[in-house]
Amino acid sequence: MNEKEMYILGIESSCDETSFSIVKNGRENIATVIASQIDIHKDYGGVVPEIASRNHVKNITIVLEECLEKANMKMEDIDAIAVTYGPGLIGSLLIGLEAAKTLSFLYHKPLIPVHHIAGHIYANSLVKELEFPLLAIVVSGGHTELIKMTDHYKFKKLGGTLDDAIGECYDKVARVMDLSYPGGPKLDKLATKGETTYKLPLPLKDDSYNFSFSGLKSAVINLVHNEEQRNREINKEDLAASFQKVAVESIIKKARKAIKEEEIKHVIVAGGVAASTGLRNAITQLGEEQKVDISFPPMKYCTDNAAMIAAAGYFAYKAGRVADLSLNSKSSDRLS
Amino acid sequence: MRILYIDTSSNYLYTGIVENEELLIELQEKLEQNLSRDALPEIASMFNKINLSPTDIDKIIVVDGPGSFTGIRIGVTIAKVYASSLNKKITTISSLEAMATSFDKASYYVPIIDARRGFVYTAIYDKNGKEVLFPQHIKINILEEKLSQLDDYLIITNDEIKLEGIKVTYKPDILKIVQTYKNRKNINPHSVNPNYLKLTEAEENLISNDRKTN
Repeated sequence: MNEKEMYILGIESSCDETSFSIVKNGRENIATVIASQIDIHKDYGGVVPEIASRNHVKNITIVLEECLEKANMKMEDIDAIAVTYGPGLIGSLLIGLEAAKTLSFLYHKPLIPVHHIAGHIYANSLVKELEFPLLAIVVSGGHTELIKMTDHYKFKKLGGTLDDAIGECYDKVARVMDLSYPGGPKLDKLATKGETTYKLPLPLKDDSYNFSFSGLKSAVINLVHNEEQRNREINKEDLAASFQKVAVESIIKKARKAIKEEEIKHVIVAGGVAASTGLRNAITQLGEEQKVDISFPPMKYCTDNAAMIAAAGYFAYKAGRVADLSLNSKSSDRLS
Repeated sequence: MRILYIDTSSNYLYTGIVENEELLIELQEKLEQNLSRDALPEIASMFNKINLSPTDIDKIIVVDGPGSFTGIRIGVTIAKVYASSLNKKITTISSLEAMATSFDKASYYVPIIDARRGFVYTAIYDKNGKEVLFPQHIKINILEEKLSQLDDYLIITNDEIKLEGIKVTYKPDILKIVQTYKNRKNINPHSVNPNYLKLTEAEENLISNDRKTN
């Protein structure tokens, strides 16, 4: 195999997006296809696992074929297959996993298991070479974590949320404010127009690298409830701005501490909430203040996609992470 | 003509390869929770044992349900990825057809899969394989009524079902199943999808809420 040209087929199906991608050498996106189910789950106010699984089966071969066509490649041109094995919705994960295992069997290609969060981290590799020691701020609907990397595929979790994930908190607060699903991005947009007039408590002011968002969520719910009781109308833009300020500040405080204490050179942001304007601005400022490189994944790689899985898969493969056909999905698993 | 048969609709893996009139190899294994982990390595080892490669197969017959939702999806995903990638012919049969076809010497065949909460997945076939009752998700007491009107029926099930009549445990006759259905019309692999016979709970609730408000 030519060291300089390695094409990885990535497969992602951990939640409600069926995606295939071909990435060259862990850096260059050749083709990515994503079939999103967002419109299907809208009617239910959130992702329904069984419906998600059913749609992954429907989409799986269509998305694969489209991806190969877009890349103008055949399966024979692929060097290895990388798949999200977890964490995520087990029924959803299984579809991508079985597809990956079948392709590995049919074409005798190495099978590379990729942790979903490793994928989000490596989404940045598609735009910038990673430098170490690196701090990954992982913010999504299922995760809020600070991860230190000393080299490719060497992860150390510094801390994480003790309860809700930040994206989950965004969505729940959005729901209280009657913003339709998925409410997180709408909340972020509203926040740019508001003033931080509502007082909300800054969660978990301690010395750890951990986060807590359930208290903040409850505080917003109580505030909305109280205002309703008093027949006072909520200024949604101001509430969104007030909420976002506190949520972002709690991330920034812990990230600043990590940059200083862990001698970080490069900060990357990963996960769906990386699309948030409020968070992006605050982290950009933090980078200037601490004089470290900051990179954000482009918007198209913030949500779930297989390009990031293929990118991570390349470095996982280099680190010797290959699996046999007995690879199984895991709904939860530590990034290691 | 070599045909690969795959059924993962229960907690068993039933798979085999049939060449013309001969069953070259088969596997019938209880995998339960390990189906997602073990189905593919088991299928791969079957190929290895008889020195065949995936390209040596001409057609796939896959069971598309009813049964365990997750189980069905595993077999269907393997089969449709296989067929679409290697450009192989593919067709589907139901788990109920497979069950009924595996037995003989009765006037009617009644395959039953427990669907819980007093429901079963079932169908009734006559001795020529013709559907007398189309495959459905049905209350067990309604099936009981239908059976009371029939003579000489055989219940095929692996579940504890409280119904009158002669019962046999399901063990597939893979050669007979493949011979019976090998000429069934081929389907575009993209269109091979599970046939659950049941909506998801979320969809059922959405429909019943709509009815209430309308």
